[in-house]
Amino acid sequence: MCSFHRALMVLVVVLFAGGMFGGGVFAGVSSADDGAGYRYGYGKTATIEEISGWDIDVRPDGKGLPPGAGSVEDGEYLYEDKCAECHGSFGEGSNQFPALAGGEGTLTDKRPHRTVGSYWPHISTLWDYINRAMPYTQPESLSATEVYALTAYVLFLNDLVADDFVLSPENFATVELPNKPNFVPDTRPDTHNVRCMKGCKEPGSIHVVTSVERQPALPVIAQITPPPAPVGEDIYRQACGLCHDNGLTGAPKPGDDRDWRGRVDQGMQVLVRHAIEGFQGETGIMLPKGGFSHLSDDEVESAVVYMVGESL
Amino acid sequence: MGKTDKQTDELLPKPELARRRFLMGSMGLVGGAAAGLAPGVIAAGNNLPPNVPAWTRSLGSGVLTKPYGQPSPFESNVQRRTVDWLTPDRIASISFTPLADLKGIITPSGVVFERYHAGLPAIEPSEHRLMIHGMVDRPLIFTMEDLMKFPSTSVIRFLECPANGGMEWRGAQMDGVQFTHGMLACCEWTGVMLSTLLSEAGVKKGASWILAEGADGSHMSRSIPMAKAIDDAMIVYAQNGEMLRPEQGYPVRLINPGWEGNTCVKWLRRLEVGDKPWHHREETSKYTDLMPDGTSREFSFVQECNSVITSPSPEKPWKQRGKYWVEGLAWSGHGKIKHVDVSTDGGVSWREARFTSIVLPKALTRFGIELEWDGSPLLLQSRAIDETGFVQPTYAQLKKVRGTSSIYHKNAIHTWQVRPDGSIANVQLS
Repeated sequence: MCSFHRALMVLVVVLFAGGMFGGGVFAGVSSADDGAGYRYGYGKTATIEEISGWDIDVRPDGKGLPPGAGSVEDGEYLYEDKCAECHGSFGEGSNQFPALAGGEGTLTDKRPHRTVGSYWPHISTLWDYINRAMPYTQPESLSATEVYALTAYVLFLNDLVADDFVLSPENFATVELPNKPNFVPDTRPDTHNVRCMKGCKEPGSIHVVTSVERQPALPVIAQITPPPAPVGEDIYRQACGLCHDNGLTGAPKPGDDRDWRGRVDQGMQVLVRHAIEGFQGETGIMLPKGGFSHLSDDEVESAVVYMVGESL
Repeated sequence: MGKTDKQTDELLPKPELARRRFLMGSMGLVGGAAAGLAPGVIAAGNNLPPNVPAWTRSLGSGVLTKPYGQPSPFESNVQRRTVDWLTPDRIASISFTPLADLKGIITPSGVVFERYHAGLPAIEPSEHRLMIHGMVDRPLIFTMEDLMKFPSTSVIRFLECPANGGMEWRGAQMDGVQFTHGMLACCEWTGVMLSTLLSEAGVKKGASWILAEGADGSHMSRSIPMAKAIDDAMIVYAQNGEMLRPEQGYPVRLINPGWEGNTCVKWLRRLEVGDKPWHHREETSKYTDLMPDGTSREFSFVQECNSVITSPSPEKPWKQRGKYWVEGLAWSGHGKIKHVDVSTDGGVSWREARFTSIVLPKALTRFGIELEWDGSPLLLQSRAIDETGFVQPTYAQLKKVRGTSSIYHKNAIHTWQVRPDGSIANVQLS
C-alpha cells in the first residue's frame, strides 16, 4: 500500500466528514431516506427498551452516563468489599492483578508503572470499565450509584479528588487525568529498513545477546509428552482457584486442614452437591459450579476431590 | 492420563484382537489385545521392512469410531500452550499457536491461539443476538439465523494479537517459536460484510466510528473507524469450513483483516454507530504504545509486516549435518508479502527465499529455502517485505524509535542461533 490505499481511506473519511455518506451511503442499496425501506428485511427493529438493557457504553464527553452520584466515602467501603482483594487496599495491586494508583512520573523510566493515575487518559474509561467488567467475577452486578462511588474512590486513591468528593454527571467533565495530553495518533511506519542483499553490515560488529534471565516455567517442547486429560487440578486452576486460592467470599483454601475438615465430615456427596448446585453457608457463598456453568458435574467433582486431597 | 490413553487405544489398530473377535464370535473369549499379540509385535522397528507391519495384516476400526475426527494420537504434542507467569490466572489469559508443527498457511481451528478477558463464555446460539444501533436509521436486532441469510463471503486472513512477541522487547527470553510468535493464526473466515449490515440499518450523516462489544463477562469493547468498517471488516460465523469454535467467538465475531486481533471482538453482541471513538479500556490503558518520550500512540490498529522461521526453531532442532529445508511464515496487515529473504550470518548477506504457498493479502504466506549445513554455528534470520515496499525492521531500528516499553507491535527480524550440536537458541543481535 499502498499510498493509493491510504489515500482512499483518507478520502472515505473526508467524505464521511462531509456528510455525503448519510442515508444513501451505499450505492445501489436502499436507505430510509428514499423511503424504500430495507433491502433484505432480515432481523427485527430494536426497541428502545431492548437497546437500553445493553447500551452500557460511556464516552469521554459523558455520553452514556446514567443519572446518579457516588461519594469517595461510599466508594471506600465498596472498594474494600469488592476490589481490594485483587487491587490492594491502596490500589497497589496484588498477585499480578493491576495496580490502580501510583506510578506518576514513571512513564519514561526503564520500568514504567502504568496506573489509572499515571497512564489512563479519561475518567469515563474508568467508569465504563468498572461498570462493564468489574468486579472480575461478577460483571454488571454494580448499580450506577456504586460505579460512581467506586470511580470517585479510585480517583481519590490517585490524589485527584478530595475525600469529600461526590462524582455525578454534572461534575464528570471537571476531572481531568494528568496523562491525557500525552496520547498521540499512530504515526507508523516509523522504521525504514532497506532491502540490502550483500555486505549489509560488518561481520565483526555482530554481538550475540543470548537469552535474558530464563523463565523456568517454560516446557522444553521437544520433550513434551501427551498431556493428561483435564483432571481435578486443571479444573481447579482454570476455575476454582480464582476464589479458593485467596479465600474469597469465604471459599476454603486447599491445604487448610481446619477449613476443610468440617466440610468433609458432611460426606463427599454433600460437598460435591453443594459445589455443583451452589450453597449459602455461614462464612460465605458458593455459586453453582462457582459460576463456571460450562463445567460438567464430573469436572466439578474432580476439582472438589483435588481440593480435599490437598487439604487432609 | 486416563482419557488420552483411552483415545489412543480406540484409535490404534488392534490386529489380533480384531481377528480373535472375528474367529470367536460371541464366545466371550476376548482375552485382551496384549494376550493375543505375538511377543514383540509392537516393539519399535518390527513394523519396518522387510517385516510386514501389524496394521497391514489386520482390520482397522470402523467408520464413526470418532464421528468428529481428531488428529492422530501420535500428534498429541501439537497443542496450544500457555506461559503461566504472564497473567494472574487462566481466565483472563492467552495461549499460543504451535507454529513449529503446522504446515501450509491455514491454522487448524483447534490450535488457534486463545485470548480471553473473562474466560470462554458458553453461548447458546438460539439465544444470542447481535444489535446494531446508535446513529442509524433503523436500529436492528439479528438472530444467528438472520445473519446467515445475508449474502456470505469467505476470505483467508491472518489474526494476530498485537502483543505477539511482546515478551521479547527487553531481550530474547522465550525458548520456542510457539512463544515468540504464537499469538498468530490464519483461517478461512466466512460471514457477512459489515458494510452490508450497516447499509441495512442505514448509517446517519456524521457517523464515523463504531463500537464493537462482546457478550462475554468483560464486555470487551473497541472503537472501529467507519472507513475500516466499510472497507473490509466482516461479521463472521464460520472458520475453516465449520461454525466458529467457541474459543474464537462462537457464534459470531468481528474480523478486521490485518488489524490488531483485539479489535476483532469475539462473541459479538452489539455494534453502536457514533461520531467519536469511545476511548474504552482496551484502547487506552491497554493496546496503546508507550514511546520512550512518555507519549503513547492510540488507535495503532495495523499489524505491520513480520516474519519468522518456524523450522528450524527450538522445537525443531537439526540432528546432523546435511541439506535442510528452512521454512517459515510471513505476513503483513497492509497487504501481500512481496519478498522474504533469509540470512545465515546475522544479516550480513541475504538470499531470497521462495513462496511455497498461495500469496494472499493480509494472510500468512509460507516461504522456504534450501540450506546446506556443515555444522558451523549460524545466525539464521528471515526478513519480509510487503507490497507497500515496507521492509521488516531490525531490533536495533525498532528499539531506537520505540524503546522497550511499548509492549505491542513488535515485528523485528528474529534470530535463531544454530549451535554446532544442532540445537536452536533464541538470541538477539546488537
